[in-house]
Amino acid sequence: MDILEILRDYQEAVFDTDGERALALIDQAYESGVSAEDIVFRIVIPTIEKMMAAINRDPDANLAQHFMTAQIAATATERMLSRFRQPPASQGTVVIGTAAGDLHSLGKRIVSGCLKSLMIEVIDAGVNVAPARFVEAAVEHGAQVIAISSMMVHTARGDNGCLGVRRLLQERGLEDRIRLVVGGAPYRFDGELYRTVQADAWAEDGITAGRVILDLIHEVERS
Amino acid sequence: MNAMERLAAAVAGTPADRIPVFCNLLDQGARELGMPLEQYYAKGENVAEGQLRMQQRYGHDNVWSLFYVGKEVELLGCRKILFAEDGPPNVADFVIRDYDDIVRLRIPDDISAEPAFAETAKCLAILRREVGGKVPICAYLTASMTMPALLMGMDRWMELVVAGPTDLRDLLLTKCSEFFRKQIAAYRAAGADVLLYSNPFGSTYFVGMKRFRELSLPWMERDLVDGVDGIVYYCGMAPFSNIVGDVIERLRLGAYYFAPDDDIASAKAIVAGRGLSCGVINDIRMLSWTEQEVGAEVARIIGAGKEGGKFLFGTGVMPFGIPEANIRALLETAFRLG
Repeated sequence: MDILEILRDYQEAVFDTDGERALALIDQAYESGVSAEDIVFRIVIPTIEKMMAAINRDPDANLAQHFMTAQIAATATERMLSRFRQPPASQGTVVIGTAAGDLHSLGKRIVSGCLKSLMIEVIDAGVNVAPARFVEAAVEHGAQVIAISSMMVHTARGDNGCLGVRRLLQERGLEDRIRLVVGGAPYRFDGELYRTVQADAWAEDGITAGRVILDLIHEVERS
Repeated sequence: MNAMERLAAAVAGTPADRIPVFCNLLDQGARELGMPLEQYYAKGENVAEGQLRMQQRYGHDNVWSLFYVGKEVELLGCRKILFAEDGPPNVADFVIRDYDDIVRLRIPDDISAEPAFAETAKCLAILRREVGGKVPICAYLTASMTMPALLMGMDRWMELVVAGPTDLRDLLLTKCSEFFRKQIAAYRAAGADVLLYSNPFGSTYFVGMKRFRELSLPWMERDLVDGVDGIVYYCGMAPFSNIVGDVIERLRLGAYYFAPDDDIASAKAIVAGRGLSCGVINDIRMLSWTEQEVGAEVARIIGAGKEGGKFLFGTGVMPFGIPEANIRALLETAFRLG
């Protein structure tokens, strides 16, 4: 099978949010002899990257598309990873969860799926996560980034959200080792809010969050 | 001219002293009564009293019978709500945990007879007694396409919408639409005048154009089959001016409550007098704006939408932490320029 042909068909299926067809294409490609490494690095990751670029331009880009893109990419990557000749090098580790008092998990799932497909290890802290739990999980797993999702204004701005995590990082001298990223509806309505809550960065949607987090991981590694 | 007459004039496009101004203060009622949010929302008397006191204090043109988004699912079996001290509560107990729960979901025959509706009914009765016919009484109703997000979580509903199984998706939508129709009948009977039809899944921001046309629009038609009097289209602060033409053509509603991201002048041009256009401020920014900045934004929106009439100025669900001075700046500017 021609890999460019597979890439084109896979991208078409992902853009149409047709998960069944996208995953069938991946399986067929593997069975016809395309390596698991080629499937991830030449099909799955380029498609996520294409989505990242397209989402900012496409007036019809929507949450359903973000969600399915991330879920398909995560599933495809997971299927292929066990078939790699050598385990791939992890790009880094992220602890992700929703802020204390917030039970909305859609954004977290989109970002997690996207990160997994980019070979970033994801530690899911769950929903309604207290600041101490975020920091403990990050220290335990050696994470470079803590990602905090909030769907409500008070959970984004409150002392038990990002501000609380920042305070703990300061108290424990961890700011050089761990970056803070935020996302969710309140940040979309106020592009400067991430500064108010003392995050290092924010992402407008779940798919572009992958790029933002990858950049933060590299920043920590360089420092 | 009272608030009800002002709203009626705006809907009809006839002269009025000023445009209607809807200021959606919900959690602020608890502060007004000096009680925690959980205590405040436990009683319909509290919510009614909070709404009446705030309307008297600020003079805006509406009161709410809405307690919090999520109150509706208590009618369908939700037993746990997570309250906060400084913002709206979350649904903490999903009624649908697995797909068998969709089959088991029971829609009450008579919403007004349900114990979970009792406090809302009390609130509406007090509002109707005190300001009925003078100040529009608003109710919040979630569309069938969006209600499942409250019943099972946004991500699991999104998964069901996009990936199926379609028979279960349609069964759930059928039940949610039946619930919507029964609920709106109960609210109408209890005296609500303005019925905010909340449907984030009625915007292409959530589902894209294809699913909007093939799924959202037909289900909205089913929800509203018993009539559209008093219905206001609202997509939960998601923009929808790109599809408002389709909504007008298919549903013929009386009012459209746009999002801050909608260009109100363009949106109103699409509505073209076929309904009331509502220009809405980004009230999350009001947490950090100065009074001058609030006033300037109100002026910009009213400047873009007022000309030609059939226009209302409104807010989203105003965050609890907005300073009093900014609320006053918003209303003073809206009253003066409107």
